[in-house]
Amino acid sequence: MRGILKSLMVTASTFARKPVTRQYPEGHRELPERDRAFPLLLWDEDIDEPFCTGCHACERACPVECMTVIMKDNPNHTSNDGPSKRRKIIDKFYIDYGRCMRCNICVEVCNFEAIAMNNTWQGHETSVYDRSDLVQDLPQLLVQSKAKQLQEWVAE
Amino acid sequence: MSTEIFGIEDVNVWVDALIRVLLVVGFMTVVVMGLIWIERKVLARFQQRLGPTRTGPIGLLQSVADALKLVGKEDLRPRNADPWTFELAPYLVFIPVFLGFVIVPFVLDWQIRILELGLLYFVAVSGVNIVGWIMAGWGSDNRYAMIGGMRAAAQGISYELPLVLSLLAVAMVVEVPGTDASAEAARGSLNLNEIVASQHEVPNIVWQPLVTVVFFIAALAELNRTPFDIPVGESEVVGGPFVEYSGIRWSMFFLAEYAALLIMALVFAAVFLGGWAWPFGIWMDDAPPRWAQALVVAGKASLFIFLVIWVRASVPRLRIDQLMGFSWKILLPLMLVQVLVNGLVLVYDWPEIILTVVGLFGIVALFAMVERAVRHPRPRPMTAAQLQGEAAS
Repeated sequence: MRGILKSLMVTASTFARKPVTRQYPEGHRELPERDRAFPLLLWDEDIDEPFCTGCHACERACPVECMTVIMKDNPNHTSNDGPSKRRKIIDKFYIDYGRCMRCNICVEVCNFEAIAMNNTWQGHETSVYDRSDLVQDLPQLLVQSKAKQLQEWVAE
Repeated sequence: MSTEIFGIEDVNVWVDALIRVLLVVGFMTVVVMGLIWIERKVLARFQQRLGPTRTGPIGLLQSVADALKLVGKEDLRPRNADPWTFELAPYLVFIPVFLGFVIVPFVLDWQIRILELGLLYFVAVSGVNIVGWIMAGWGSDNRYAMIGGMRAAAQGISYELPLVLSLLAVAMVVEVPGTDASAEAARGSLNLNEIVASQHEVPNIVWQPLVTVVFFIAALAELNRTPFDIPVGESEVVGGPFVEYSGIRWSMFFLAEYAALLIMALVFAAVFLGGWAWPFGIWMDDAPPRWAQALVVAGKASLFIFLVIWVRASVPRLRIDQLMGFSWKILLPLMLVQVLVNGLVLVYDWPEIILTVVGLFGIVALFAMVERAVRHPRPRPMTAAQLQGEAAS
């Protein structure tokens, strides 16, 4: 009997509290800065080009082979009177989000810190009607970094 | 043959009956939909959730959507079910609940019919639906349904007794105001209108605390609500007698369940909380306006419903032997003692405060008995192997 009264009190105190539900599509929970969605490429603000030099390190390291990297000579290189110190730069970059398993290995192997895991909600809400739409090309991979939508964080 | 309804004279009896039936059906359906929505919302708050929010403003149309879905579903019948029993069972659960609405006093002098033996009638018709439960269990030709039906019968019959005795205990001591000032106030009435009228000063819950508690518990069991929902316990008998039902027939069971909850709440409000009367004799001299009466009744009934939902959110299901033991060994003796005390008060004209004191002692006794039962659980019954061993030795 005391147990029943105690349980009644517990539910009553719960009743007085505010519901914890978030109305998901309307309101989003704040994501932690180290949230790991799909990988994307970062944009070098100073020189106005991607950090990525197309070195294939990530492509080779990728365990599910979801990446395709094609490199080209950098037209902005100092030898062409450009501002950039990068001799080579990325030409085409495809990541198939349908295959990616978000293992973070590409980020770890990258020598230029040119690739990062998306830590915004756009990285999670990637539903499409056709699987082939999941293959992201270079502009798509860069758009969020260009718009400065990613949360800043410094790896220790 | 003609009668009078809403102040309109000379209405044909059949037309009158039809209007009243339609009123009941319409009112009940709408209120049940609201009740389901309220239950889901309140239960959600008990679990820190929001409940339905998508359909309509704050999820108000959720029940409408559910009802439409249920009506649209296929009405299945298992091949080896007994067709007559299976098809008739929902009506036998449903119609008694409808009948119960006849005597429910919504506001002063405004109910379907004022019956002199209203409480007796209520108890009689609300007992009938057990037959429907057994029919549903038997007709489905399903073991779970059968077990559920038998459990419903056992539980319904056991808890009918404390329920009836608690209503009796109130009915026998109710002070009915005399028809005119000179007449002596009579004691005892089964007319719900008179019972409410007698509580203008003090509601019965003050004089009969134990009876109120026992009525609440027995009502929970009669309504098959948690913690007494063993006939429909999903984890044990997967929905009990409703296993094989679908679509509109299933929704009829559901409708009956919530309508019964509503009636029980209204009867509780009328018998124990003083119906449309304002507590502590405010507005005693002249009856409050109709809308205020309706609000008061709705508030008191909502209190009961809220308590029911609260208990549902808090307490786990009982085992069947605990359930039966609680009714026969605790509630029934306590109720018999209370009826005896009420009789003594009635015969010897003792002051009514004795009733309150006895009732409070009764509640303490109820708690103590349950506590003792929890401390000293029954020894486990012997298994078949043990029994055989005993017989052999």
